[in-house]
Amino acid sequence: MNNRTFITSQSLLMTASSIAFPFYLLLIRNIGDSYSQFGLAYGLFALTGALFHPVVGRLSDRIGDRPLLIVYTWGMAGMMLVVPIIETVFVLYMLQIAMGVLGAVQKTVEKTALARQYTGTQTGKKIGNYHFWTNVWGAIAVIATGYLIDFLTIGSLFYLASFLYMISAIMIMKSTSSKLTFQKEKPVQY
Amino acid sequence: MKLKWIVTGIFLYSVALYSSVFVYSLQQKTEVVEDAGKLLPTKMKVIRSSHSIPDLQKWIQEEETISIAGMQHSQGGHTLYPNGTLLDMKSYNKILDFDPGKRKITVQSGATWADIQEKINPFGLSIKVMQSQNIFTVGGSLSVNVHGRDIRYGSLIDTVDSFRLLKADGEVINVSRTENSGYFSYVIGGYGLFGVILDVTLQLAEDELYQYRTASMDYQEYETYFAEKVKKDKKVKMHLARLSVAPGTFLKEIYITDYVLAREQGRLKKYSILKEEELVALPKLMLGMSRYSEWGKNVFWDTQKKFFMESNGKYETRNNVMRSDSEFMEYENPNRTEVLQEYFVPVDEFTSYIDDLRKVLAREELNVLNITIRYVEHDEDAVLSYAKDDMFALVLLINQGRSKQDIQKTEKVIRKTIDMTLKHGGSYYLPYYSYPSDQQLKNAYPRIEEFFKKKRELDPENRFKNLFYERYGK
Repeated sequence: MNNRTFITSQSLLMTASSIAFPFYLLLIRNIGDSYSQFGLAYGLFALTGALFHPVVGRLSDRIGDRPLLIVYTWGMAGMMLVVPIIETVFVLYMLQIAMGVLGAVQKTVEKTALARQYTGTQTGKKIGNYHFWTNVWGAIAVIATGYLIDFLTIGSLFYLASFLYMISAIMIMKSTSSKLTFQKEKPVQY
Repeated sequence: MKLKWIVTGIFLYSVALYSSVFVYSLQQKTEVVEDAGKLLPTKMKVIRSSHSIPDLQKWIQEEETISIAGMQHSQGGHTLYPNGTLLDMKSYNKILDFDPGKRKITVQSGATWADIQEKINPFGLSIKVMQSQNIFTVGGSLSVNVHGRDIRYGSLIDTVDSFRLLKADGEVINVSRTENSGYFSYVIGGYGLFGVILDVTLQLAEDELYQYRTASMDYQEYETYFAEKVKKDKKVKMHLARLSVAPGTFLKEIYITDYVLAREQGRLKKYSILKEEELVALPKLMLGMSRYSEWGKNVFWDTQKKFFMESNGKYETRNNVMRSDSEFMEYENPNRTEVLQEYFVPVDEFTSYIDDLRKVLAREELNVLNITIRYVEHDEDAVLSYAKDDMFALVLLINQGRSKQDIQKTEKVIRKTIDMTLKHGGSYYLPYYSYPSDQQLKNAYPRIEEFFKKKRELDPENRFKNLFYERYGK
């Protein structure tokens, strides 16, 4: 996976999550009928995320970032297929736990990948660039969704997000596995 | 190798996508509908609406369960039934016949009071009995046998000449006090359980010019005031009172508006342009404040009182009095809702009733935002009649949560209140949430068993069902 693939796939992820997130929030609020249920749903997400960050971090050292990113993208593509059809608070809690795990994967791996790739000079500039592109896509997606919602049902927005996650997954799978993860520093020549 | 995994991934994803879309489209086929109480979101199979009688007849023969709906402002699921067909009557709303000379109008049941007002106002005519707001359909209003500010014409049933009813077997019959009269007192106040009301012929009153007479008093003076200054004075045509829910004057202070026949009837034309909904931002803001704080309730009460007291002497036509604002009460909160309760109490029990009500509400936690008082004359024409005596009707607006616990909490308080109301020889109104117990229903409506028995007799296959019937009738 080269830098370009990484940024493109991350931008796609950002786009997908920006499309889904505001409506996902609405959905949680509608399914839960009180703020306590809303709080619990969100707390479960945050808590599982917290517990999984260290695990994911170690895992990424052992098996590399690419397999984890593949798990994340396919996982999210799947989750987005479940979101439109959930009806009970219990399923919502389960979903929040699963998303907590996946969220931890994305957050940690995004950083480990960045760290491994952008070592050396101008790290700041590269990371700045990286965030610029991914966030631009996120912003465009949020704005576009605001208009899209007049024409699409909320359900189809989640399907659209799912589709983008899937494209991102395939993109990462297609890339060669060595470049990013096992990028060795060039032997120093004397 | 890599390609194999990608293909497998895409394949599995396609299966998952297909399943998800399949389930999603199934879910979308049922429609979640709720009434104004917002406590009973219900999945209906389909919503149907038409202005043709053959369509309605066809659906009644085809569909298994039917719930009939107008504006859906009842709050106890009277227009809902899980997986049933919702017959939305709002588009069945033509004015069929209007005879100004005989003061009669025939309208399809989906017509609203506003539709009728627009038609008859130019002819100097007015509706006899309706709710305080004009947004409701005639069919819905008949089904709950409404009453309003008018104090001279009784309940809605007293102003109905006849109607046509589409029965469960698809037959259309005329119903009046002389023709198929057995249906008359069941269908009016029948909550849509006996058939579809198709068109209705109503008696009209003359439009008149009223002058506001306002007064404020202690609740203990109200009984006498009403007997002497309102009931006896034939010039007073309509009446509305408000009872304080502000902590400072809780259930003690009352202010009233009497609509007195003006001496200058010649000036009616000058006032007869129908008014539209006024600016709602300010009352909405104040009602909003009163939802959340005692302080807000005091401010709301004082401002409202000042505003209404200042209207003393103001002229308004009968038609315009019957076009009260309602938009400011619209309330969009995902977790809370506002429900109504209405209690009827015999006129001579009023003072002692309010004392008891104060005791109950002081002990319990219930966020009451507003109480209005109307008068309704003794009338037992309808089988489910609430006016077993000359009654004051107290309408309580209550803010509550939508969760199960919140509903249970409200239920506890409301059952206590109803027990207390029944002890005073009172009754309660049926279009609201099914908080009352079965026993309370029996006590308030002694003919309820006869009512449900008749329902099963006239609709043996239970074609017409709603959550009210489901809760109490089975």
